[in-house]
Amino acid sequence: MDFEHLANALTLTNLALALFGVVAGTVIGSIPGLSATMAVAVLVPITFAMTPASALILLGAIYTGAIYGGAYSAILLNTPGTPSAIGTTFDGYPMAKRGDGDLAVAIACYASVFGGMIGALALLLLAPPLSSVALAFGPVEYLWLSIFGLSLIASLSTGNVLKGLAGGAFGLLLSCVGVAEISADIRLTFGSPTMIGGIEVVGALIGLYCIPVLIDLVATPERHLKVDKGGRAVRFREGAIIAWRSRFNLLRSSIIGTLIGILPGAGGSVAGLVAYSEAKRTARPDQKFGEGEPDGIMATEAANNATVGGGFIPTLVLGIPGTPPDAVILGALLVQGVRTGPTLFEGGGSIVYTFIFGLFIATILMLPTGLLIGRYAYKTIVTIPKTILVPSVGFMTIIGTFAIRNSISDVIIMIVLGTVGWVLSRFGFAASPIVLGLILGPIAEQGFVQAWIIGEATGNLAGMFFGRPISLAIIAFTILSLLYPVIQGRRARKLLDMQAGSNAKTDD
Amino acid sequence: MPRQTIELSSRTGRKDIGTLIVASVFICLGLITLYDVTTYSDTDSVVFPTFVAYALIFCSVLVIIASWLRPSQSNGFGSGDWWRRLLLVATMLVACLIMPVSGFLPATAIAFAGGLFAARHEGWDTRSAVVFAASGIAIMAGFYALFRFALGVPLP
Repeated sequence: MDFEHLANALTLTNLALALFGVVAGTVIGSIPGLSATMAVAVLVPITFAMTPASALILLGAIYTGAIYGGAYSAILLNTPGTPSAIGTTFDGYPMAKRGDGDLAVAIACYASVFGGMIGALALLLLAPPLSSVALAFGPVEYLWLSIFGLSLIASLSTGNVLKGLAGGAFGLLLSCVGVAEISADIRLTFGSPTMIGGIEVVGALIGLYCIPVLIDLVATPERHLKVDKGGRAVRFREGAIIAWRSRFNLLRSSIIGTLIGILPGAGGSVAGLVAYSEAKRTARPDQKFGEGEPDGIMATEAANNATVGGGFIPTLVLGIPGTPPDAVILGALLVQGVRTGPTLFEGGGSIVYTFIFGLFIATILMLPTGLLIGRYAYKTIVTIPKTILVPSVGFMTIIGTFAIRNSISDVIIMIVLGTVGWVLSRFGFAASPIVLGLILGPIAEQGFVQAWIIGEATGNLAGMFFGRPISLAIIAFTILSLLYPVIQGRRARKLLDMQAGSNAKTDD
Repeated sequence: MPRQTIELSSRTGRKDIGTLIVASVFICLGLITLYDVTTYSDTDSVVFPTFVAYALIFCSVLVIIASWLRPSQSNGFGSGDWWRRLLLVATMLVACLIMPVSGFLPATAIAFAGGLFAARHEGWDTRSAVVFAASGIAIMAGFYALFRFALGVPLP
């Protein structure tokens, strides 16, 4: 690694490719239904005629931009453009509703750039040692990781934990619908061909988050977002100050994102939710997560963009894609004749390091382009009349969901699930635990069944589930994450009692 | 009468019927799943749904008990026009059902028109009808072209 690689990345062609990739990725990622995977997959053929380094830079830039682009629709329409932006809806949309959408867009951009830089830094400095973490994760570790993820329901359930747990179990049940991954049994379809393909996660996300908003929007003549009469610009400076104040949250979330990005199959959605949960758990008493707290957006956006760099670590070092877009990029690399593996950093080092510097450049370019596109996206959504916004978003949900698997069944499931989600939300069953169950269900099931089979084959079932050091560490984290809110609540009550006692003494 | 007793009586007086119905539906879903797993050929595909069904039933029973003892008065469908909500969802579903026969654009045009009527609270005149119809056609044509030709999605 030396400055020669940086110079290679800084050629005019590579800079133009990085800029194009970021802009294209951001725009595609902002459309509900078009995920980062799709953005990368659609634009892969363009790269076949390029040099490997330029191709990698373009694909990395598209990926980075698409992950960030998901934040726009999450903030302005309550619809995660990509699954990675689920957590962004929790506080982004409430901020937009109260008239702070411009600030939320700026904060999301700063956090995404910060997270992207940390992920790329990890890729640059720690790729070979960190890739061994991915190899240390077996089926049982994935099982415990998904159970740790499910423990986040406690913190994602706003108001009622019991309803959150029931919603999470409902989501897990939904994840079982269709053909079983391990044994190919057809489950819970009741003979319906519509259900046989299972419930597609992105379609379900669009339904559960977007359809309830549309149903609520049409019911009353109120405006969709509060409009500031002063016609102010996007609040870049204010956003930067808030981001700087929360630098610890940004750093923690970026590290979480990088580490989860390394694990194949976990992805940006899990990383964003874990980082959100950690930010919420360690929040100050005055911070109200779920009601428009900037720290919530920052945690999710920093983490999901950090998965870009994190995900490239096992992809490049081991040839195991960390996230679905990495799998597409891996395929593109093979077409280019680049063989991934530990030797890539030695033999083909120039390509890898040029790409890593290209990733840095793309992430830096995301700052001006993201803020600029965000400004126009915000102004468009705010000023567009509700009469045209509702059918346009409705149309986008249909076309976006259809595009995932070219399936009308997915669109029907999206609409029905969205309507069910609206009814459930009216009685305190939030969408987030259902989504969490839906995402983590397949990971948990696969991990459980595989671990069970290996445990039985080796004659050490208990040791398989409870005897591995990484598993034990994740179990400890899970218990801690479940107990922490209880401990925190008790501590807060004690503090309140003490304050009430001292106030009473003062009054006397 | 002490204030606490009044609060308690008002709380227990009106049950949160919606929550009770939702939780009961969840229990039914759990029971249906427990029946469905008996038809699977491989035990590997039985374990997880069975466990999840029991978890769903257990959590839903707890929700019913909690809701019965302490009903939430804030739950409910709230205010707003029901016909607009129904029109929006119904036209979207109709669009999906007729899509294989009519093709993508005519089917989604129905959903778009339904959305327009449902979202318009200010009333209609010729000018607004023309403007919104033209905007709708432009938006649908633009996205259709993007998905069909640029992204290569085989829209029906």
